[in-house]
Amino acid sequence: MKRLRAILLTILLMHLLLPLTGCVTRDTAADSGSYRAKVGIVFDIGGKDDRSFNAAANVGMLRAKRDLPILLRDVEPGDPTSLEPALRAFSQYGYNLITGVGFAQGPIVAQVAADYPRLHFVLIDSKSDLPNVASLLFKEHEGSFLVGMIAASKSQTGILGFVGGMDIPLIHKFATGYEEGARYVNPNIRVLRNYVGITDAAWNNPGKGRELANAQYDQGADVIFQAAGNSGLGVFDAAEAYHKFAIGVDSNQNWIKPGFILTSMLKRIENAVYSIVRDEVEGRFQGGVHIYGLENDGVDYALDDYNRALIPPEVIARVEQAKRDIVAGKIRVTDAMAEEESRDRAK
Amino acid sequence: MELTFGEIINYTLIASTLRLATPLILASLGGLYSERAGVINIALEGMMLAGAFTAATVTVLTGNPWVGTLAAMLAGLMVALLHAAATISFRADHVVSGTAINLLFLGVPALLSGALFESTGATPQLPREQVLPDLRIFDPQSSPALASIFNQKPLVSLALAMVGMTAWILGRTRFGLRLRAVGENPEAADTAGINVSRMRYAGVLMSGVLAALGGAYLSIGQNSLFTRNMTAGRGFIALAALIFGKWSPVGAMLACLLFGLAEAVAIRMQGTVHLPNQFVQLIPYVLTMIVLAGFIRRATPPAALGTAYVKE
Repeated sequence: MKRLRAILLTILLMHLLLPLTGCVTRDTAADSGSYRAKVGIVFDIGGKDDRSFNAAANVGMLRAKRDLPILLRDVEPGDPTSLEPALRAFSQYGYNLITGVGFAQGPIVAQVAADYPRLHFVLIDSKSDLPNVASLLFKEHEGSFLVGMIAASKSQTGILGFVGGMDIPLIHKFATGYEEGARYVNPNIRVLRNYVGITDAAWNNPGKGRELANAQYDQGADVIFQAAGNSGLGVFDAAEAYHKFAIGVDSNQNWIKPGFILTSMLKRIENAVYSIVRDEVEGRFQGGVHIYGLENDGVDYALDDYNRALIPPEVIARVEQAKRDIVAGKIRVTDAMAEEESRDRAK
Repeated sequence: MELTFGEIINYTLIASTLRLATPLILASLGGLYSERAGVINIALEGMMLAGAFTAATVTVLTGNPWVGTLAAMLAGLMVALLHAAATISFRADHVVSGTAINLLFLGVPALLSGALFESTGATPQLPREQVLPDLRIFDPQSSPALASIFNQKPLVSLALAMVGMTAWILGRTRFGLRLRAVGENPEAADTAGINVSRMRYAGVLMSGVLAALGGAYLSIGQNSLFTRNMTAGRGFIALAALIFGKWSPVGAMLACLLFGLAEAVAIRMQGTVHLPNQFVQLIPYVLTMIVLAGFIRRATPPAALGTAYVKE
């Protein structure tokens, strides 16, 4: 009986505390009136400091705040259950443009957007058919193809690694593109594929990321591409310890461990976010699917002072050629997520 | 890609098992001191987070991982003091106090990292010279297998040494006997002239220090930064290992090693075996349940676990 009471009390306590982690602050009088749009953003579980996916969205928002007359508020959810309250809070306060970062927010944004048809919503990495939702999708498979080419050109062992965060179709898209790019350079290359986990805790477990990378390097891999949020930072630690290479993801991560990060697969979320905010301010917001690929610089590979010395010019020339061929349709890169979705529909 | 046995079972598996088990062993031993004294400690997760965050933060600020480790121990001590004061002095429910601490340390790192690093729950990544160094017991050139297994972070050796130490303290010293006495029968211990509260405080404080060391291993040993909620449930696994190991130091260590081994095998099986990843990732948990149900059968907790002692 006493035990039961304790458990009930615990649950009650958790309910009292949890909403606090995702509360939206009310506008202060000082910044009212000086803006044209109120913009809210709800980040993914990784938080805006993941130096990768969420960080890119944050960079875009901050740039928009600097250049455009907007009021910006953000929420970092403590856990998945605070996503919906955060989105609803923005909606209740009448925010004009509300952004949900990450595939996990897809169904939630769709529900909230249906309840507030006069507000505009943005989804990153997920799709909705509602007219007031803009879905920003990226051709990660194309960018991954390019970094796969660079990895295969650099590899001396003929073995590459891939460490994904959550084992989901979106991340398979990265893995498959990477593998196809590697095969394009070296048909005999072997790619080891690992995922940190099967729940959203997989984005925040650098210890496991490091251990997965250790295992891949032990098996002979000499370049590992990570698409694992905060867990990927553990992969960088392993690369440094083994004196081998890793490849960053989403943001340009070359600076994190200079000399050990071969390149980064850029997903230009910052540009996509910026332009959608600008559209909102200028009254040109358009719902529906917005696709960002190589053709509009939505994805790319990073080349800067941190990694220029690591990649020979002839490799860069070849990658640039492949980029043109993909845009021209001469090389077709498999979109693993689209294939899995159509397979599921066929069932 | 077919599975070759040598790809899974080799010396790197042993090294990986040790690395994965170390934070669990430290936290589990921590839980042991607290629970043998009669105080339930589900706050291990929060204590690990406090240790991991403090270790990373202080190392960033001072550039010295040893200072960071010391600071982590101190942080663990402070968090444990909170739990001890709540449960022993104010006789709060142990589970409620533990849960409150776990929730608190989801939020505190976000708050402090905001003030210190303009971040929301992460610390800057440390350069390699500033994380805890590997021990160099064997030469990696002449004996790569031994080097891979034994040349680990000093906290790995410390965790193993603490198992022996704890077994000795608990079984052979007056302190250990008294600690167990207040956990089994505080009335009798009190009658015998033992200060029950003081012994329980000692047990809980020890648990904070050890769990925080487990956290420090994660942030400045295995990795080079703190990220939000980076313990990912290891505190709870450590607690399960403690129960699984029947509240004995060697038992808890074996449980942690088994769990580490299962996870290391799962890591190596992923992608090499034709099994859905979801199944492979279940292995550590299913194995633990099978062993628990099949071999351990009954684990008897300390008799006075979870009860407040009121002096007559």
